[in-house]
Amino acid sequence: MATLDAATLTVRFSAVGHGPRHWWRDYVSMLRWHLASLRMWLMTLLAVQILSGVGFVLGISLFFRHIPVSAALYVSTGVPVINILMVGLIFGPQLVANQKSAGSYEYLRTLPVSRTVTAAAWSTVCLVSGIPAMVVSLVVAQLRYDLPLHISPMIVPAVLLISLAGTMMGYALGHAVGNPMAIQLVTQLLTFVVFGFAPVLFPLSQMPGWLATLNWWFPFRHMAVMTRAALTSTGGSTVSTAYIVVGVWVVASAAVAGWVLGRRR
Amino acid sequence: MTDTADPATGASDSLEGVASDGGWTFRVDGLVKRFGALAANDGITLRVEPGEVYGLLGPNGAGKSTLVKQTIGLLKPTAGRITLGRFDLVADPDAARQLCSYLPQAQMPVDAFHLREAIELAGRIRGGDMAQVRRRAGELIDSLDLGEWRNTLGTRLSGGVKRLVGFCMATVSPGHLVILDEPTNDVDPLRRRLLWEEIRALGAGGCAVLLVTHNVLEAEKAVDRLALITSGRLVAEGTPSSLKASDRTRMRLQVMLTPGVETPALPAWSSSEVRVGNNLVTTIAETDAPAGIAWAAGLIDGGVAEEYALGAATLEDAYIRLTSDMPVDGRDGDA
Repeated sequence: MATLDAATLTVRFSAVGHGPRHWWRDYVSMLRWHLASLRMWLMTLLAVQILSGVGFVLGISLFFRHIPVSAALYVSTGVPVINILMVGLIFGPQLVANQKSAGSYEYLRTLPVSRTVTAAAWSTVCLVSGIPAMVVSLVVAQLRYDLPLHISPMIVPAVLLISLAGTMMGYALGHAVGNPMAIQLVTQLLTFVVFGFAPVLFPLSQMPGWLATLNWWFPFRHMAVMTRAALTSTGGSTVSTAYIVVGVWVVASAAVAGWVLGRRR
Repeated sequence: MTDTADPATGASDSLEGVASDGGWTFRVDGLVKRFGALAANDGITLRVEPGEVYGLLGPNGAGKSTLVKQTIGLLKPTAGRITLGRFDLVADPDAARQLCSYLPQAQMPVDAFHLREAIELAGRIRGGDMAQVRRRAGELIDSLDLGEWRNTLGTRLSGGVKRLVGFCMATVSPGHLVILDEPTNDVDPLRRRLLWEEIRALGAGGCAVLLVTHNVLEAEKAVDRLALITSGRLVAEGTPSSLKASDRTRMRLQVMLTPGVETPALPAWSSSEVRVGNNLVTTIAETDAPAGIAWAAGLIDGGVAEEYALGAATLEDAYIRLTSDMPVDGRDGDA
């Protein structure tokens, strides 16, 4: 029989709470949990991310015999959005859907860590798993098209904010939608929207007016503005607006996720 | 954090853990949980002391898991209180998650982890010290005879072994209250015995254990006290012996019917009959034992039954008697 020294193994009354010291230790534990739980998928996920990013960059050369540098630059500076966004926005909610289907969702909700810890640990995983694909895609784009890239330090906040927005939106979606099948369907729809109907890889001017107006309210167009500005060292009021709109999506998504996770029927 | 000001629990920072947190008690007072018109819990009151293994028995849909989910913060009560020491677990679900560890009835997320890794990570997330968690994880693995799968990935483990891993994850750094919802499901008989020993050890270590089970016969040996819940109400509570007290002068007559035969008409002096498969169980008064034997022997002679057994009434008989107007599950003592 295992010896149980509950005096040392159990959280004492006076330690109940979520102080900063707990927060950091819990964050490290949850990060380890997420990384270990994804070990069977992480390399595949990275490979798919890299292949899809490189695929977009090289794919346009199959459509046109001669590609203007401006077009190649447009696509290549939009691809990082897809690289950074996809794990949090698409894979994240699908993972939650799987947990709901498998029945492990309830156990995970009873773990004694704060909601901010869980969200921060998952955001870290999404960020880290998106960066290699972004770097490889940009290197391939540079080698293939000899682009006039001028990467500014603003790439750091841009990547952080885009990753956080994708993760929080996915987080809210995964936890707010109860039915796992519905989550899967919504993520399929989102993939369709981001790739086909958001001006990420092509200019806004090529869209019908009503769709362009609609896209102003969604974050994807603004994310592309942010990466494009950071990779070409350009700026302007549209860039400031982009940061504000994406920031609002981060806050709104986090609020929805926090409310859903704290809700008890 | 909500402090319900229980003066008995003035824990000193210099002391640690369950034992040092004073005379705490887990209490449920007048708990009501409604889903629309349905009262899943209808005024349940109970208390579990440190060191006590407390069983929650009842048929499917009785409201056992609903009670547990309100305790751990997954559901919110319609009315009533749930407290652990000075903590109001309804008002402070964060405290509930820290003070209670939980093995749900559903599958635990172990597929992506190696067995030992899953237990140790769960222990760390539950706030356990690294060295202590590692030591106890190793001891639990040895005690439950899981050593041969120590470094095996969860996807390669059987359902029963996964269940045991789930138990280890919930109890490697146990809370003051350990909630176990059907812990023996899918577990083989030998390891089931080891598991009951570990559950008893949790109590001996100072934890309060709230055990939800259908396994009446095994629970009888493992719990200190138990409550019987039907239709959201607590209909009986006490030690296994006290619940059996009114059956003390009664005996259990078990008849193994010939496959395919109709249930024979039962004598007027028998009661609480239940048939599961070909196994017919009824209770009779001690004074009717000779008549019972003659009746069962007559069934065998007539080809209706193959064998019978007469013995002392068990907790299962009390369970069946108390829930006789309910659709009963697990009558054969299996989970």
